[in-house]
Amino acid sequence: MSASMMQPNLDQLAGLTGVRAGALSRWQETGWPNSRVEQWRFTRLASLEKMDLRPASAAAPAGTEAISAVLPENGVILSFSNGVLDVAGLAALPDGVTASFLSENDTALAVLAALVPASHPVSDLSLAVMTSGLHLEIAGRVDVPIILVFTGDDNGVSSHPVVSVKLADGASTVLAEWHQSAVGLSAPLMAIEVGDKARLDYAKVQHESAQSAHLAATGLTLGEGSVFEGFQISVGGQLARLETHITLTGENADCTLSAIYLGRANQHHDITTNMSHAKGHCLSNQIIRGVLDDSARGVFQGKVHVAPDAQKTDGQQMSRALLLSRKAEADAKPELEIYADDVLCAHGATVGELDETQLFYLTSRGIDRDTARGMLISAFLDDAIDSISHPALAAMLRPVTTAWMTASNRSETGDK
Amino acid sequence: MAPLLEIRDLHASVGDTPILKGINLTINAGEIHAIMGPNGSGKSTMSYALAGRDGYEVTGGDILMNGVSMLEMEPDERARAGMFLAFQYPVELPGVGGMSFLRAAVNARRIEAGEDEIDQLEFVKLVRAKAKHLSINDDMLKRAVNVGFSGGEKKRYEILQMALLEPVLSVLDETDSGLDVDALKIVSDGVNLLRDPARSMLVITHYQRLLNHIVPDYVHILAGGKIRRTGGKELALEVEESGYVGIDDAA
Repeated sequence: MSASMMQPNLDQLAGLTGVRAGALSRWQETGWPNSRVEQWRFTRLASLEKMDLRPASAAAPAGTEAISAVLPENGVILSFSNGVLDVAGLAALPDGVTASFLSENDTALAVLAALVPASHPVSDLSLAVMTSGLHLEIAGRVDVPIILVFTGDDNGVSSHPVVSVKLADGASTVLAEWHQSAVGLSAPLMAIEVGDKARLDYAKVQHESAQSAHLAATGLTLGEGSVFEGFQISVGGQLARLETHITLTGENADCTLSAIYLGRANQHHDITTNMSHAKGHCLSNQIIRGVLDDSARGVFQGKVHVAPDAQKTDGQQMSRALLLSRKAEADAKPELEIYADDVLCAHGATVGELDETQLFYLTSRGIDRDTARGMLISAFLDDAIDSISHPALAAMLRPVTTAWMTASNRSETGDK
Repeated sequence: MAPLLEIRDLHASVGDTPILKGINLTINAGEIHAIMGPNGSGKSTMSYALAGRDGYEVTGGDILMNGVSMLEMEPDERARAGMFLAFQYPVELPGVGGMSFLRAAVNARRIEAGEDEIDQLEFVKLVRAKAKHLSINDDMLKRAVNVGFSGGEKKRYEILQMALLEPVLSVLDETDSGLDVDALKIVSDGVNLLRDPARSMLVITHYQRLLNHIVPDYVHILAGGKIRRTGGKELALEVEESGYVGIDDAA
């Protein structure tokens, strides 16, 4: 490991045992990946290495009042500040949800360690540091959305919240993550186990402050006949990577994982997914849409892996990026690895600009150019947003894109 | 009083190629003028130059609407000032809902005129009433703009927009192209409903047949970027019989 690499003060972790000790030793051996590592070729962490961050140890006093206004009204909020959970929130959890701490639950910790992306810096570092570790078990039908809100105020720290969620067979719930902090690095580690015939509606909003880095690693397994409908929006932060690994471990699972990234200034957004069809007769669908202005950069890496006996797999993936500026850049790396012979898989990736003919058509009807641009960008994003069927999650996500476009129009008008 | 539209010695280029080489045309309120001409004569360039499309650069002359030059105005400003271009090839807008598109256009015009935005229910009623004359059903209205429309449906949808926006100057760019006889009749009837002493139209066409339905007050023959002949509606019939051969020389 080079001397310049961020080497958080991990002395206090000397007494770790079990999976966390293993994670710590892996981290100490490998550290941050360099650009020669294929998976990190498009997203470089050099800026992170120079930040000299220390893992957070205490919550900030700031509350979540400003954010809660945009969250579903009937949701239960679990608040993490600088990666530290406010345990008072656990009292409000609805019936059917049981909470425990990962530091006191070796079984759940071992399951989580197996679910999250392997050989991943966030998996190792966040598991070792674990500013807070929360485990939730869901039984039966829980209609109240559970919303994890991550805030923070100290740009000299890195936050490492670790959350695992287990949906029992036949359970259903709605889970959202809202990240809006000003920490130096937010590195949430999530593991979600969706049991047989269970259903999870899930949304994540990455809305960190303009200077923050956000590196997330999420691992999911989907049991037989389960349904997962997930959506991610990456709009904040300076450098963001949302990496999600999903394994379809039972037949007839139905998985949607769509994402939108919206970038301006010199933001870098990376959506990386790994969809692994281990069993046959499963459906996976990914719709990725990116809009990039100024000198922003977007990356989509999506691998679909179909195991030899995962026959009748239907795996779809479509990534489209819209560049609003000549300096913006989008990279897409779709990968299909198919070892079964009776499958239906398709992927595609496009990068384009707003169509001048369409803009002319709209403006020739008296619609001003900014509004016309907004209409075309909305239409572009709606493809993805329309895939969210849960009304409360859709209502939470739509204003995020609308607000981004309003700000976009303002900055463009200001330039003139 | 200034004429509704006055085109003065208009020169326009596409890229480095001069296409319009000195067009002079005056249209008074209530008049319908037809522009006919062979392929490549500059008909479409003229419509785009009027609408202010990027890439159609006016290199000389002026375009005045009610005495005001439009050259420095963006396409949306020209539209709000009362100009409407019915496209030869209407543009598909996937994901842009038809009703919200029509409403945005109508409201842009109303806001410009200092009026309130139109009430949603009132708007739906208005659109349905106008759409009925053009045989446009609710299903078409619900779809994304022009997506999945046939050629004839697209042209009818252009006329619907024209009816909703109530322009003072309508430029119809080869509105008859791709239409069968029935569709031509529906479109023409729609246009004729909008004839009004306060409104003018410029009908651009290659063929005379549209002018049987939308009867012009004046016919101009455009060739080689200039208007070579001007006459009444009988000029269209003459062209229909003898073609455009020799028109260039007539100038």
